[in-house]
Amino acid sequence: MTTDLPMPRVGAGQAAAPKPMRLVLNWGRRYSLWVFNFGLACCAIEFIAASMARHDFIRLGVIPFAPGPRQADLMVVSGTVTDKMAPAVRRLYDQMPEPKYVISFGACSNSGGPYWDSYCVTKGVDQLIPVDVYVPGCPPRPEALLQGILVLQQQIAQEKLQTKSLRGRLGPYAGRRASAAEVSRPLVAPPEQTT
Amino acid sequence: MTDTTQAQSDPYGATTHDVDEDTPVLNAVGGDWDELVDEATALHEERIVVNMGPQHPSTHGVLRLILELDGETVTEARAGIGYLHTGIEKNMEFRTWTQGVTFCTRMDYVMPIFNEASYCLAVEKALGITDQIPERAQTIRVLMMEFNRITSHLVALATGGMEMGATTVMTIGFRERERILSIFEMITGLRMNNAYIRPGGVATDIPAGTIDKIRETIPLVRKGIHELEALLNENPILKGRTVDVGYLDLSGCMALGITGPMLRAAGLPHDLRKAEPYCGYETYDFDIPTRDTCDAYGRLRVRIDEMHESLKIVEQAVDRLDAGPGPVMVADKKIAWPAQLAVGSDGQGNSLDHIREIMGESMESLIHHFKLVTEGFRVPPGQAYAAVESPKGEMGCHVVSDGGTRPYRVHFRDPSFNNLQAVAATAEGGSVADVIVAVASIDPVMGGVDR
Amino acid sequence: MTKFLSGLAKGMATTARTMTTHAHTQQYPHVKPELPSRSRGVIALLEENCTSCMLCARECPDWCIYIDSHKETTPPTTEGGRARQHNVLDRFAIDFSLCMYCGICIEVCPFDALFWSPEFEYSTTDIRDLLQEKETLGQWMPTVPAPEPLVPELPQTEAQQLVVDVEPEDDPAAGRTTKRGAGEVPRPGTEEQP
Repeated sequence: MTTDLPMPRVGAGQAAAPKPMRLVLNWGRRYSLWVFNFGLACCAIEFIAASMARHDFIRLGVIPFAPGPRQADLMVVSGTVTDKMAPAVRRLYDQMPEPKYVISFGACSNSGGPYWDSYCVTKGVDQLIPVDVYVPGCPPRPEALLQGILVLQQQIAQEKLQTKSLRGRLGPYAGRRASAAEVSRPLVAPPEQTT
Repeated sequence: MTDTTQAQSDPYGATTHDVDEDTPVLNAVGGDWDELVDEATALHEERIVVNMGPQHPSTHGVLRLILELDGETVTEARAGIGYLHTGIEKNMEFRTWTQGVTFCTRMDYVMPIFNEASYCLAVEKALGITDQIPERAQTIRVLMMEFNRITSHLVALATGGMEMGATTVMTIGFRERERILSIFEMITGLRMNNAYIRPGGVATDIPAGTIDKIRETIPLVRKGIHELEALLNENPILKGRTVDVGYLDLSGCMALGITGPMLRAAGLPHDLRKAEPYCGYETYDFDIPTRDTCDAYGRLRVRIDEMHESLKIVEQAVDRLDAGPGPVMVADKKIAWPAQLAVGSDGQGNSLDHIREIMGESMESLIHHFKLVTEGFRVPPGQAYAAVESPKGEMGCHVVSDGGTRPYRVHFRDPSFNNLQAVAATAEGGSVADVIVAVASIDPVMGGVDR
Repeated sequence: MTKFLSGLAKGMATTARTMTTHAHTQQYPHVKPELPSRSRGVIALLEENCTSCMLCARECPDWCIYIDSHKETTPPTTEGGRARQHNVLDRFAIDFSLCMYCGICIEVCPFDALFWSPEFEYSTTDIRDLLQEKETLGQWMPTVPAPEPLVPELPQTEAQQLVVDVEPEDDPAAGRTTKRGAGEVPRPGTEEQP
């Protein structure tokens, strides 16, 4: 059974007062990002260090420990995405509600990093999901994550709220309707061997 | 008695026409109740299989725990691993011996120095230069390793505390860790995954001011560990959650090949730093903390005591470094990475002396420099195994060389891989919440488990 | 009752003490972190020193350095002399999305053309911007910290003394080995002798 979720629309306020509405909505969206920490490897330790007392990204409005992807706005992929883990990444990204943002933290999730020629590593998480900000480093400093969040916040501040351009930005990933069966299906069996 | 055909003749038993064909029906018609119960439980009809992970805030990284539950009790626990397998060992077969350090340092990412140390000790054993490593290099290695032991235990306690719900433990643990990471950054340039220990010695000498900074930091870290102790040691909630949880006695540890704090909390004072010393550990004065409670609480206390011992060793190492300068790389020019007295802002680069020599004076030195940095040195054919006592247990490296500039095979005996196999033994029979505590007390790091 | 009150007083005292203790937090965007001089943020290129020997590109464990160069000849300066060949660097790019900050490229460069800089604020929204060409790499040069003093007890040779005296930010060409043929001893501060 397909769940027919319509694309997000901004509503009547936008028609009446577009610029203030845009300002308010962008301000609200960028200063309350609930982050879903997709911590995989070494960069996850630096991500945790960034959430701790010394660097503290809660000051920037990013709230850690979201209970799950369904209550998160921002996904920080930190660490190597292996081919075994890739379906899980895609599935959890699909479970996040719109509008959602992705920060790719560290060399491994940017492009595979030191393991880019390995047999079992996905060469960058942007092969699976659309990424908004890339933070370089191996692992990047916690301050680099803070700067990446600031870059993301500047990007959100400039977002336009026209419905068409929202669809345009979210594009092929969001226009696609995910059926409940798709996100809960079991593993697909490999094709039959025809000898 | 439990035959379904008998039920038809029994006026009070269940009749088969209102259940499915293959549903077993058990009738108690007198006789032993226990036998019936045994048969019912053997059918496993009520079993629930819960999948924890691979993405879960409480598992240490990408660990998938498959738990079979009977109510709240775990009847079977299995670990699904491989979600972080990056093929480091295979990658290292295509890098020179020195470049291999930059890869192996990323395996168990909370203890990078130990990964490098085990690899370099194995390579040095294969080269046969183990006793030519300069003493200052050994002292710096010990210093870095003990600091890394403290940071690893801090991460273990902090994340363990967070998983149990004690967030203050996490903030304090990471606060102390930041102090030590700034020392790492001062010496190596990176906070984590510093490819600092190289075959033959260490990459660069410590910069000026490090010793003072270390001497300032040690009392602060000590105070922080005391704060952690105040929060953890006699806390009734923590004791309630960790005492007699994750129990694995000595015979269990020996059967599974467990090493590290788990083994020492089971009563056996086995530590490779005392049993098979390396890097000059026999000259340092420290104890091996041991408990005999075999549970998560014992492992927690062992880790805290080990942090105190590490601080003692750090103080002794710093006194030795203060005593006088010395070379930090082996003297043999055919092996030594050209890191002599560097002048770059980070301690990297080549000294003008070296450049004058290779560019101006000696053609052989120039050739050596180019050959050394492009090809790398050659290790004579053979194999070697070297193990260090890492914060998680015995970290070993087995290198096989075919005489070339690249290893034929490098395999790591990672302690987390072996220790994680105890998850079944420690978790089965407990409740789901105890699984979290048991896994936290095993302290696996999935980068090491999967490599 | 007194036990309850004394427990409450102890708890409130802990809260009051924590409330008045200065927070450990570094307010990042307003306060930049104080980084040690060895800190590895980004790699800076001093283009004049690079001779396209390709050692860094060869030694990078991730092959993230891309170098293109070609040879040019300078005509002989004295009559009957030989035309000299030298390398001209066309392209030097480092892909920071692959770089693992191991520093091997900086260590192996025999001409000190690569340096570490503590700058870390170069996150981008497009991954192609992480492939930095030599113009961008050259712009990081002013952020490279001065060489740190060596451990004082070590005997300082003449050469090291010269390095300590020269300020690298003011005069990047001096104090560094420039391109010279084998056989000539590099001396900082002198004009390039043909």
